[in-house]
Amino acid sequence: MQNLLKILLRYSNFLVFIVLEVAAFMLLVLNNAYPRSSLLSTANDVVAWQNEQVREVTGYFQLRGMNEQLAAENTALRNQIATLEGQTCIYYEPAKVVQMTTDQLHNYLTINRGSKDGIERGQGIRNKDGVVGIVRTVGLNYSVVLPIINTHTNLSCRFAKNDYIGTLQWDGKDSRFAQLTDVAAHMVVNPGDTIITSGLSPVFPEGIPVGTVENSTLYEGDSYHTIRIRLFTNFKRLKYVEVVQNADQKELEELENGLD
Amino acid sequence: MDWTKQIGRYILVMLLQVLLFDQLQLLGVCHPYIYILCLMMMPVTLPHNVDMIIGALVGVVMDIFCNSLGVHTAACILIMFIRPYIISSMVNDIDRLNEAISMHVLGVENMIKYVLILVFVHHAVVFLLAAWSWSHIGFVLIETVVSGIITSFIIIGYNILRYR
Repeated sequence: MQNLLKILLRYSNFLVFIVLEVAAFMLLVLNNAYPRSSLLSTANDVVAWQNEQVREVTGYFQLRGMNEQLAAENTALRNQIATLEGQTCIYYEPAKVVQMTTDQLHNYLTINRGSKDGIERGQGIRNKDGVVGIVRTVGLNYSVVLPIINTHTNLSCRFAKNDYIGTLQWDGKDSRFAQLTDVAAHMVVNPGDTIITSGLSPVFPEGIPVGTVENSTLYEGDSYHTIRIRLFTNFKRLKYVEVVQNADQKELEELENGLD
Repeated sequence: MDWTKQIGRYILVMLLQVLLFDQLQLLGVCHPYIYILCLMMMPVTLPHNVDMIIGALVGVVMDIFCNSLGVHTAACILIMFIRPYIISSMVNDIDRLNEAISMHVLGVENMIKYVLILVFVHHAVVFLLAAWSWSHIGFVLIETVVSGIITSFIIIGYNILRYR
């Protein structure tokens, strides 16, 4: 008996080691076999809180990828809407703005899609908020777009409330506002009226939002309103856009040209 | 060596582990567990049994963060068990050692050996138990080697900076 005790004492370290390891393996096996204890896992409040804080920080590094993913998803959804609405000739192609000016008379923007992606001169550009512009020059991988905030751009629009048609132009001053012309004096224009694309040209399908009436003035003796439009598109923060590809565009343009 | 210093170092190392090193995702094979630094550098003044219990506690805390109850616990108990044998093979009189394990105590060459042995034993056990099967043995080996090299590098680097 005394000998046994002596041996036990002599190897007590090893015994403690074995006991601890057996306990650890029991934890391991039980944890694999049964639902985890909430206290001894990342469901633990302290640990979960720590993980949440880490996610808060590291999440910012993933924003770029997430944005691109969301933009692609938006485009896919818009394509589905176009199909459901029966606009089978319309296809949206996602693109990213790589360069843009907003403070000049002739502003341009460059997108990262070109002839390789089926972009052609004259196609419309929109983003989630509304109209952006029209493709002007097409390269292999990039294209230059004439935005509606360029004094050269004319866009056929109409009032959402009564289909009355006008032409959108830009006076070169403020990228947030544009002017609607050709609206006759007898028309009643109220601030807040919504302006959408007319669908008269094949560049944009009908009904893409453009802006709302900020104010309108009818000068003495004028036969047209002077209307200021607040644009839906925020050109200062433009990042992701979609190219409107109308399969019938070429045919329609050829027909129109044939009339001359 | 002051024990409050040891605990302070443990907390700092643990924060580094969960906030920085657990977030690394390099091809899925790089999981450096630098928290064992504080176990390895602990002085050997306490009884061997107490050392192993401390190892078990440190392992359990790490397991909670990793959702791997038992894995780090087993590995930490093991390195705390073999630690005094390795040290006594390197110094003449282990009973008179009353300071933290460092390059001063062991010498540069022995310190590097000591770190490599403990790190690779710990990492091999952790990755093997986490895989819980021999079918991933190749991946476990790669994981052990890559992570072990990085962990050893960091621990030896810390020693050089601290005791140069």
